[in-house]
Amino acid sequence: MEARSAKQRQRGLASLTPFAARAPPKITLTGLYFRTLFLWPCMGKPPTKIFALARNVQVSIHETHGALLSRDLRIAVIDANPLRAAIIEEGLRAAGHTSVVRIDDTAELLDRIRAIDPDVILIDLESPSRDVLEQMFMVSRSVARPIAVFVDRSDGATIDAAIDAGVSAYIVDGLRKDRVKPILDITISRFNAFAKLKNELETAKSQLDDRQTIGRAKALVMRAKGITEEQAYALMRQIAMNENKKIAEVARSILTAAELLR
Amino acid sequence: MTKRLRIGYVPLTDAALLHVAKAQHFAAARGVEIELVADSSWANIRDKLVAGHFDAAHMLAPAAIAVSLGIGQIEAPLVAPVALGLNGNAITVSQALFEALRQEAQGDMADPRVTAEALARIVARRRERGESPVTFGHVFPFSSHHYQLHLWLGAARINPDADVRLVVVPPPLMVWTLRKGQLDGFCVGAPWNAVAVAAGAGIILHQGTAIVRDCPEKVLAFRAEWVRSHADDVRALTEAVGDASRWAVAPSNRDALVALLTDTAGQDVSARTIERILESPPSCASGPALTETGLRLDQDAIKADPGQALWLYAQMAAAGQTAYSHDQAAAAAAVYAPALGPPISRPAAIPVAFDGPAFSQNDIASYLAALKTGRSC
Repeated sequence: MEARSAKQRQRGLASLTPFAARAPPKITLTGLYFRTLFLWPCMGKPPTKIFALARNVQVSIHETHGALLSRDLRIAVIDANPLRAAIIEEGLRAAGHTSVVRIDDTAELLDRIRAIDPDVILIDLESPSRDVLEQMFMVSRSVARPIAVFVDRSDGATIDAAIDAGVSAYIVDGLRKDRVKPILDITISRFNAFAKLKNELETAKSQLDDRQTIGRAKALVMRAKGITEEQAYALMRQIAMNENKKIAEVARSILTAAELLR
Repeated sequence: MTKRLRIGYVPLTDAALLHVAKAQHFAAARGVEIELVADSSWANIRDKLVAGHFDAAHMLAPAAIAVSLGIGQIEAPLVAPVALGLNGNAITVSQALFEALRQEAQGDMADPRVTAEALARIVARRRERGESPVTFGHVFPFSSHHYQLHLWLGAARINPDADVRLVVVPPPLMVWTLRKGQLDGFCVGAPWNAVAVAAGAGIILHQGTAIVRDCPEKVLAFRAEWVRSHADDVRALTEAVGDASRWAVAPSNRDALVALLTDTAGQDVSARTIERILESPPSCASGPALTETGLRLDQDAIKADPGQALWLYAQMAAAGQTAYSHDQAAAAAAVYAPALGPPISRPAAIPVAFDGPAFSQNDIASYLAALKTGRSC
């Protein structure tokens, strides 16, 4: 409750400034905008803050003219898997999003989020830190209160796709759906691509293992029965067909049996 | 052909009845096959249940109420026809905080009033010295763990928002975070308190039962519209939970239950730990707790009594998560639907806190007012 009233107080102050006075009242302004306006004199690095101030002012003027798409959204990607996070970041950058920050989902998660103050947070559905984030959104006075994209159930297909892919997202309240959807779509497709890649790698690895197993079993059979390589392979294939098994499974049984009888 | 239902759960000891219902074929005998899907966060459990990826879920009772009322992230009507047990939480503190509390304590450390007063002095001293505030972990904004911490702190008029820091930590990381010194203590469910003790990382200061007797924990939650269209499945599943409860409390099944829960608990948890959780509270710091009930899985503990939902709703309002209203209270009570659960004739126990005004489900407004006065004086 208090978090909300603090936010409203901030909004009240902002409406007194000449910049915001030009904007129609319904426009949603971001947390960073306010913090930059009112807190930069007491913060560490004035030059960059002034730059940020200028940038945000320009943004607010753009938004006044209805060009809401002009500001680049700040996107945080929380993923314990650095490779997947990199793939997602690359995808978002390719789509023109330049403010993408990757966060490891362990220590200092909350401090990092506070510092970044993202508009969109993308998080691996398997990360237990989702619960940590939700509590932060409930109590925080320093971060605009983001909401889960699953809240809007009008787009059931996207929700299903996100859950199947293993992605969750939080967005700052008031952000338009058509701005968030492409970001979520990119993330979902990258998550799926990553899963596919991982599957392929695992399949390739097990195929390699299979080939080695078959080779070793074949050598054993050749030695035990004094037959040629082709005959040994034919024999194993015959057993596999009779028992409705893969030849690699037969090979594994041969190796196990040999180990037992040694 | 039997129907296959997907049920999400978080790997905790109090998912016990779901594991029993599956492993002992109680669900199958009632015509439903259950697939138990472990998940890593309460937010996931909620989202997947609401989006229809789960048919039912092992859910924090207050979270099910919050979703139904639209407090927090998502609003969707849920129904809880059966509870999955009572109690099981404990407040565990670091060795350092325990030592500090013992030096400050004026009385029996088993009394939560004594430890809360001692904590208040530690909190004040840390503030005077400009040190970081005492930090406690819990598991979710809408959880009995969170409210138990509020009730304990409230006994010594410690403001949970201003005087200490309460943070959410995933249960599997709780012990690690305590050991790293990022937490001074936590309130979490079984098995993690016992795991912290076994690992030498913390000391159980109070069993949850010493803070709240018969504290509601998890429920089996469904989407309300799904309940309407799948009445038979709901009935079969909740009856199976009832069967599981009868099986779980039979002394002759104790060893099998311990084995089952050890198998499903994950690698950090030993059979000895599970045994201790089920038998009696794990070794307490000193003296007996208020009651020694610990985790309860018996028939009286699984009745989804609307009185319990009202108690939880009152704790939400007391924690400032929502503003009390009569209509909202009625909606909260309606989440618990014992008529759809297994037949249990006796009324369920209503939670009793060790401190503060007596709870009356007919006059929550007065209860909340009394709670507030008690805390601000």
